[in-house]
Order: sequence, then C-alpha cells, then structure tokens
Amino acid sequence: MWNKPPFPAPPQEAAPSLPRRGFFQSVAAGLNGAALTYLLGHDLYAAEDSQAHHHPRAKSVIHLFMNGGPSQMDLFDPKPELDRHHGEAYFDKIAGEVEFPDKAGALMRSPFKFAQHGQSGMWVSDVMPHLATQVDKMTMIRSMHTTNLTHEPALYKFHSGTEFTGHPSLGSWVSYGLGSENENLPAYVVLDDPLGLPVNGINNWQSGFLPAEYQGTRFRATGSPVLNLNRGYVQPDAVSDYERDLIGRLDQAFAARRSHLPQLKSRIGTYELASRMQLEAAEALDLSQETEAMFQLYGIDHPETESYGRRCLIARRLIERGVRFVQLFINSQIWDNHDAIATTLAAACRRTDKPTAGLLQDLEQRGLLDSTLVIWGGEMGRLPIAQLPADKNESNAGRDHNKNAMVAWLAGGGVKSGFVYGETDELGLSAVENRVSVTDFHATLLHLLGLHHEELFITRNGLKDKLTGVNEAQVIREIFG
Amino acid sequence: MNRLLPTVSLCIGMILPASVIQAAVDYETEIKPLLRQHCISCHGVAKQEAELRLDAGVLILEGGSKPVVIPGNSEESELFQRISSGDKSVRMPPEGSPLTTREIELLKNWIEAGAVFPAEEVFSRSPHEHWAFQPISNPELPEINCNEWSQNPIDRFVYAKYQAEGIEPSDRASSSVLLRRVHLDLTGLPPTIQEQDQFAEKADLNKVISELLSRPEYGERWARHWLDVVRYADTNGYERDAEKPFVWRYRDYAIKSLNDDKPFDQFVLEQLAGDELPDRTLETMIATGYLRLGHWADEPADPKTDRYDQLDDIISTTGQAFLGLTIGCARCHDHKFEPISSKDYYSFLAVFNPLERPREGRTEKTVNFEGTEVYAWNETSPAPNPTFLLKRGSPSNLGEQVEPAVPGVLVDQQPEFPSAGDETCRRRLGLANWMISQENPLTARVIVNRVWQQHFGEGIVSTANDFGVMGAAPSNPELLDWLSYWFIHDADWSLKKLHALMLSSRSWQSLKSPTSINRYRRLEVEAIRDSMLFVSGSLNPKRFGPGVKPPIPLAAIEANTDKGSVWQVSEPEETMRRSIYVLIKRGLIVPMFESLDLADTVSSCPKRQITTIAPQALTMFNGQLTQQLASSFAERLRAEAGSDPARQIQLAWQLSLSHHPSDSELEQMTQFLEKESLEELCRVIFNLNEFYYPE
Repeated sequence: MWNKPPFPAPPQEAAPSLPRRGFFQSVAAGLNGAALTYLLGHDLYAAEDSQAHHHPRAKSVIHLFMNGGPSQMDLFDPKPELDRHHGEAYFDKIAGEVEFPDKAGALMRSPFKFAQHGQSGMWVSDVMPHLATQVDKMTMIRSMHTTNLTHEPALYKFHSGTEFTGHPSLGSWVSYGLGSENENLPAYVVLDDPLGLPVNGINNWQSGFLPAEYQGTRFRATGSPVLNLNRGYVQPDAVSDYERDLIGRLDQAFAARRSHLPQLKSRIGTYELASRMQLEAAEALDLSQETEAMFQLYGIDHPETESYGRRCLIARRLIERGVRFVQLFINSQIWDNHDAIATTLAAACRRTDKPTAGLLQDLEQRGLLDSTLVIWGGEMGRLPIAQLPADKNESNAGRDHNKNAMVAWLAGGGVKSGFVYGETDELGLSAVENRVSVTDFHATLLHLLGLHHEELFITRNGLKDKLTGVNEAQVIREIFG
Repeated sequence: MNRLLPTVSLCIGMILPASVIQAAVDYETEIKPLLRQHCISCHGVAKQEAELRLDAGVLILEGGSKPVVIPGNSEESELFQRISSGDKSVRMPPEGSPLTTREIELLKNWIEAGAVFPAEEVFSRSPHEHWAFQPISNPELPEINCNEWSQNPIDRFVYAKYQAEGIEPSDRASSSVLLRRVHLDLTGLPPTIQEQDQFAEKADLNKVISELLSRPEYGERWARHWLDVVRYADTNGYERDAEKPFVWRYRDYAIKSLNDDKPFDQFVLEQLAGDELPDRTLETMIATGYLRLGHWADEPADPKTDRYDQLDDIISTTGQAFLGLTIGCARCHDHKFEPISSKDYYSFLAVFNPLERPREGRTEKTVNFEGTEVYAWNETSPAPNPTFLLKRGSPSNLGEQVEPAVPGVLVDQQPEFPSAGDETCRRRLGLANWMISQENPLTARVIVNRVWQQHFGEGIVSTANDFGVMGAAPSNPELLDWLSYWFIHDADWSLKKLHALMLSSRSWQSLKSPTSINRYRRLEVEAIRDSMLFVSGSLNPKRFGPGVKPPIPLAAIEANTDKGSVWQVSEPEETMRRSIYVLIKRGLIVPMFESLDLADTVSSCPKRQITTIAPQALTMFNGQLTQQLASSFAERLRAEAGSDPARQIQLAWQLSLSHHPSDSELEQMTQFLEKESLEELCRVIFNLNEFYYPE
C-alpha cells in the first residue's frame, strides 16, 4: 500500500443553504430558457418548502399502477342490473367498442359478491377484503374514461397524456415542477416487478423531451433495490469526495465546451445524487429496521404478497424521506382478465389487496396520509359483457377492454374520504355522470400537488408543451376534502 | 426469483417521428395530432372511409366526394359540422368519445384562419406510393461548389442539404479525435500509444480504416449491434430461464460473418434459410439459430396460443430486422396505420409455420448436423400442414386458408416460391430470395440506415425498425437511396466497403456540433467495459465459445431461492473477455449491463435507449470492476511510465482518452496525485464524461 498524507476537506463550491435554487438554475440553463419562468417569477424561495403555483394539498405521490385494466364492475362499481340481465345479448349495441367481437358473449354478472363497508358504506366486492376495510380513506372515481382500448396507446395516454411514446411521464412532470424534498434521493423512483416489466417497458417512466434528470430512477426489482451503495473497497470518505470533486470539475469543463448536450450536465447530476444517496438510500431501503408487525401488515410474511408488500413498504419509507413520486408497477398485465375472470382477477387481488390496505393504514398511523396522495388504477376498464373462451364455457369467461368506463381511487393528499364520485350507466359500460377524462385526472392530480396544468410547461420550438397537451382539462374540485 | 418476460408482443408501430414542429405551428402541433388521434384510422392512408383522408393538409382541402373544409368558413365546412354536431347519427367520430370543446375550437380556429398547412408536408397518395415501398433509385450526385466536400459522394448530398438549409458545416475534427473515433466506432476499443504515435507522424485515415476493418475486433464490435436487432440472449426467459443449448454458436457465426465480410444478402439468406440452401454447411445451419433466439415458455399455460406467440416472435423480428416493417401489429386485425392486412400477416406466418422446436418436454434439444450440436428449429416435412388466418388472432377461430406470401403492398406480383425440397418445403428460401432481390425495396435501405445510425449517432430514418407509413421520413432520401443503390450494385452488399465509404466522408469526419450530421452518443456498455479492460491491460482476447459469467454484486441475487446456482462465476481470466462473450441471461442481466442500458432482449432493438440515472454512477464509482481495473491500470502506468507523476498522467490520459492532457488537466491531476494514489486517479478517469461520450 502507499502512504497518504492527511486529507484536507475539499473546497466547497457553494453553500448548500439553497439547494433548490441551484437545482432550478442549472435546469433553466440546461433547457435554454425553458419552463420555469413562471415558477422563477413567483419568488419561490420565499416559501419554505414548495415551488408550487398555489398551496398544495399533497406533497408526494405513491402511484400504484395496475397494468391491464382492472374490472370496475367486479371490484368497486357494483351493477345489480347485470345480475338482472345476466345472459341477455347485448353485443349489437356495443359492437364498435369491442376488441374481440367474435369472442363476445352476453351480459355477465360479476362472479363476486358486493357489500357496503365502513362509515361511508362504500361498495367493494369480496375479492378485495382488506381494501374494503380502508374505504373511509378513499375517494372512489367511478366515472373515468380514456381514449383508446388498446394497451400500448392507453398506457402512454395514462402515463404521459398522449397516446404516443416520447412524452414526459406523470412523475417526470411532477419532479420537474416540484423537485425533490430530499436531495439525497431521486425525486422520482420506480419500483417495478421482479417478475418482469410492464407493457411499454421503461417507456412508462421516461422523461421524453424533459431533461434526463426527470426520468424515473428505476430501483432494481430483485435483491437490493440499489446496488453499489457502498464502495466495494475500503477507502476514507474524504478520499472518495476528493475523487468525485475532481470528476465533477473535469466533467464540468468538458460539458461547458459542449453546452448543446444537456445529457452531460445530467450525467454530472447523477454523480452528485449518487454520492448523496450513499448517505441515505441504504438506510431508506433497509427493511430490517421494520418490525415483524409491519411485515405482517404489508403481507411480507406471506409468499403471495411478499413481493408487492415489500415494494409498498419501500414506497412508504421513500415517501417518509421526501421522495416526491414513487410508482409501483406489476409485471406484464395481471389485470387484463380476458379469461376466467373469477380466478384471474381474484389472483391479481390476492397479490395486491393486503399490501395496498397495509400501506394505507401505515401511512395514516404515521401521519403521512394527509401529505401523501395514493393513486390506484389502470389504463382502462372492462366491458359488462362476457368474453368467451374457445370452448364457449361461460364459467371460464372474462371481460374485454373498455375505454368508456374505468375506475380509479385516490386516498390521502387532500381528497375526501369515504367519497364516491361519478357514475357509470346501469350496466357499467360508460361513464355517464361527472365524467373524468385522463386529462382531467392529470390536471386534478397536479392541482393537489399545488401545480396548475396550464402553468406547468416546457417551451420547445416556441410552443408550450404540457402534460395535458391541447386537451381540455377540468380540475375535479368536488373530490377535494 | 427470476424475472418473467411479458407474454405480450409489443406493438410499437405508432411511434411518432421525433422530429416535427415546423413553421406553421398550429397545424403541425395542434391540428395534426388531433386528427391523428381521432380520425385517421378511418380517414388515413391505410383506410379511406367516404374516400376522405385527413392525414395531410392537401388531402383535407381536397375532401372526399365533396369538399369538407372551406378555408375561412368553418360554419360551411362539413368537417366542422360533423365533429360538432349534437346529432349522434351525424357526428364524427362515429364511435367513442366526441371531440372536446377545446379540440373543436382548435379546428374551428384553424379553418377560420384559412386552414393553413406547410407546403412541404410529406405524405403518400396511396400506401403503394409510400417512399420506402418504391424501388431504390440511383440519384445523380448533387453539384456543389466546395472542393473539400466533393471528395466523397456522401458529402455532396450532405453538403447540398447544408447549403439548402443555410447551415454552416462544422470543421474537420482534429486527427487525434478522428483516430479515437475511428477506433471506437469500428472496434469498440481506443487506439494504443503506438497507433497514436504512428498516426501523429502520418495521418492516413483511410489506411487506418481498412486496417481496423481487417481486425477480428471489428466483428466483435459490430456483431453486437446485429445481436441487438435479432433480440439475442443466451437463455429463454420465463420462470426457468434455461440456457439455450449451444446458442453461442450463432453469436460466433455473426462475428465470423462480419469479419469475413460475408455479403449482407448472403447473411440474410443464411439466417432465414441456411438449412434449405442447396450447398448448406454447418455454418449456414448455425445461422438459422436466428429464428430460435426469442424468449420461450417451456411450460405455457395455453400451448396453442404459445405456438402462435413463438411464430409471432419470428415474424415481428423478421419484419423489423430485415424489412423495417411492423408486421406483428397485424396479428389480431388489419394494421390500423400500415397497409398490412391480417391476411398479409398469416401469409407471412405460413412461411415459418412448418418449423418445429426440437424438445423433450421442457428440455430443449438441438439439431445434429454432421456431428455438431446446432441450436436451430427443425423442419421435417416437405409438405407441411395448411396455415389458416386466425380471426382476431384467436387460435380457435380459423378463417380462410392462406399460402405463403410477402406483404402485398411491397410487390406488384407475388414472388414465386420454389417447389418443396426433399426435407423441407423451402418457403423460407423463397422468402429469403425475395428479400435479397431487386424486387424488394427495403432490405438494403434498412441495413444501410442501421450502419449509418451507428456511425453518425442518428439514422437517416430515425426509426430504424420502422420504414412504414408511420415511421419517420428520411432526413435525406436521395442520400439513402444513393447509398442503398451503391451498396447493392457497386459494393456487392459488402458491409466493410460501406463502412469505409462512410468513414472516409468529410461528413463523418466533422466535429460534432448542434448542426452537424454526426451526433454525440454515449458509448454502449460493452464498449465502455471493453475500453476499461483494454486500457488497463486486462483484456483477455480469447474469442468464441460459451458465454462467460463475470462477478456480480451478491446483493443482486440475495433474494433468489437459487442464489447458489443461478450465477456461477467463471474463472477469473475468463471474466476479462470482451463483453460480447458475456452471457445474456434474460432473467438476470449483469447489473452493470442492465444499468447502462443493454438492449431489450424481448424484441428487436432498433437503437439503444440511453438513460442517465444515479445507479449508473454508483455502479461505475463504487463497483468492484472499476476498482479492480483501476488497480490494474495503475500498475500498468507504473510499469510503463515509471514513478514520475507527470509521465504517469500523460500516459494515463493518452491510453484512455487518446490525447495529451491540457495544462489545466495536468495541473489538477498533479495536485490530485500529490495527495492521492494513482489507483484513485484511474477510477476518476473511468468515470469521466469524456470516457463515455467520445468526440
């Protein structure tokens, strides 16, 4: 080994007292005069902890995304008329709205039993026994609808506001608008499933035309969520700091000569964040600090719920530490129940019901629910008629895609509790009352976080690009608590 | 637990061209997307209800049987009347949600303002007229008045476009930049000190190009690009994620084929139909492993559907890899945006339907050819079972019987498929022969564009797997055609000649700048890792053979139930081999590779995605590999430069970045070395922007 002289602290470049000012300045520079003019013009730094457009109701988001299109009339939107008309032909009236017409069967009642729960008496089917105990924390939106009944475009629509790839995701917009509450962790974390990526893969959390630092940081799905948090070698911190400082100085010089390449700056940012993550991420992700009771609450003690429960618990720990937006994905599309909905939907619920309920309880116990908006939902809904398997055996029937009605619920983060908003028609085919488009949903979500959908934009080629795009957006104020 | 792969095939035919936004902003950014979203699946190039198309300004004004837009008068315009009508029997679109009031307002305002659209808007009158479906032309070289740019035909097209757009071309890059660029581009490794010295003495770039093209490292670099396109992996994915026996012979085949400069048409022929060639050899048999590279469920829930999933994998990959077409999207219905029908899909499927996967239960078997185990499909009968169109993609819902055919939009007349051979029906041979024939306008264009994309950072067509109607328009169509024509007729499909032509152009030799045609792109993870191995003197040049397993952080597998057996690390010297020999296990990608954006192994990857996230920095700064190679690099520097820090820094810089450090860099490094060790300096170098983003 070689000798090292005692190491002096590396020179501090700037006092860290106003971290987010630096954050915004470098962003603005990187974007060539982009989006934040509104924000910067409103003396954000006067406010203690927000760059928001108006007073935020929620500080952070946990987005439990349910790939595939959960069936609204089998979970949260009971349709007694379906029981009454079970077996009646209906296809002719909706032929244009069916993806697989040749498999279309008659109207089909839910194989599950509904009951009212909680103080609010909200209806939930018996396939979600744990969430049923949490209804008094939720705003149930039964009147959502989307624009496309094919998964890929519908997923893009839900995650980025357009049916095409290349646009920033929800989490990117939010972290672009609000930054992180914790400089030591990414603002936007994605926890995908060890069993595989969702449809559209990593495009679900891309930053599109926003700079790379706003893309979702994907934590690993198996083993440790983040590898190499500790150095694989022994070395004093001060030495590593000096190394990083040198990398930073050389990289800054290299990037300064290539100012048209924002990715170089973003890359420098990843080293800064990586170094700060070392301080906190290991602790944040260390589930051994949790009690046995917590493991039980989230279902981590049971093989079927272990994986999702673990990610829900990690999500809570990240939110607790100031991560702005945590998004959970499930492999492939377990909610795409074309076949045997009685068993396939039940299986999807068994994987997620208990962990989700545990998360809500835990957030409330810790006083985090007021400031954390939990979102549950998929990219589309399902049809009231049966989709028949090849042998036409009704007991193995499922349901086809439906873009005209879908369900989503919100909890915490300033929304009403035990509240149902909107209605579908008597069969659950279309949202009819207080309809909520995906765009409305986005605008409402931004509003809860203190952002206005018309004011959160980036200027590209002289145009303002927004999450809500050219679509008309209504903030659904009726659900605010 | 292992990662399962999604069982759905992704339909990515609808990717918007990344370009857009032109002068007439309202039409391009507000009207066109709106029409695209609501109208053009029925009123577009693929389908024209009421003979009306709404996918281009000219066509909107033309209307259907009568005009639908009267510029300046929205009230009289039927388009406006129909979208805003309260009467459901009249209102458009006929199904689904009506347009929002905001969208209706936008259309109204656009019509009122005169329905203006850019004059240069590109569109095809009929799908048959789509540029990529036309025969490859042989355009005249543009006349330009600049000697420096008249040397190479590519430059005349590029310069003419610069001139037309009023762009000032960037300067030629310095010779040290060019030497590094050419080495990394062709071999994925930086130049040695000797090579740098020689080049400093006599900068004969063309000589270097041809010399590099003759090195085996060329194939090891470029075969990896091909493996991206053909979704290569060493295992099957899904729960068991078993290794594909002897699949690495296909990987080696790709490397050797490129090193031998096998004509690309022959390369296509062998991969699709190497077993059906009259003069088949072990090599051409191995080539057909291409067809079996996809993921595979050894215990599928629904075997019937699974069979069609496997065929869909072949069809989708073949469509994208060789034709730049998203044929896979026509599995369940006629393609919504491309002129490809379900019948086209199943006729294409009929070509591959006779294939059978050799297996015994869940265990895959190989084909034995002259005593060698070959990972390929079996085709055992010259008279295969008939193929039927599956209505809505359902295996239990047979439609009409179909015969093997190529997508109708590409040909006036179907190619003649050869009669059955002794062992096989030779349909793949028929398809492959057509693919490489002059009747097919796509294969040459698609590969030329791929090579261009890799050298210049962005393709002439930016959607390298999608040359269809929804793909991006070529940024320089004449250049693409000229190159493709030249590639077939003058270069006889020689990829090495194509590389040499591109790299000897002034265009490629320009400094990268915001307006320059060549772009910065981060090196692929393989080239990053290989460069680290190389400059630290650790690279084991051993070629070919079974995939190797380098060490991975234990934390990556600590949750696996089979953590003791899932990743048995290879012998230390084996782990120092080039990255193309690293085993790609679909369920457990080497974390460094995964973090730094290895190609997706589920389907054909047209271009590496580049993410920039903190876990990458953790991997490269804290990881074991960097630490180990930084040590080796430091050892090498001490051995070759002695103990003088200034000389060590000089050498380190030259080896890793191919130039001398600037005064300021030297000073900062020297200061660093006064306090810290050479090992640490080497880790710094392996993390620099400049190491990842070559000039």
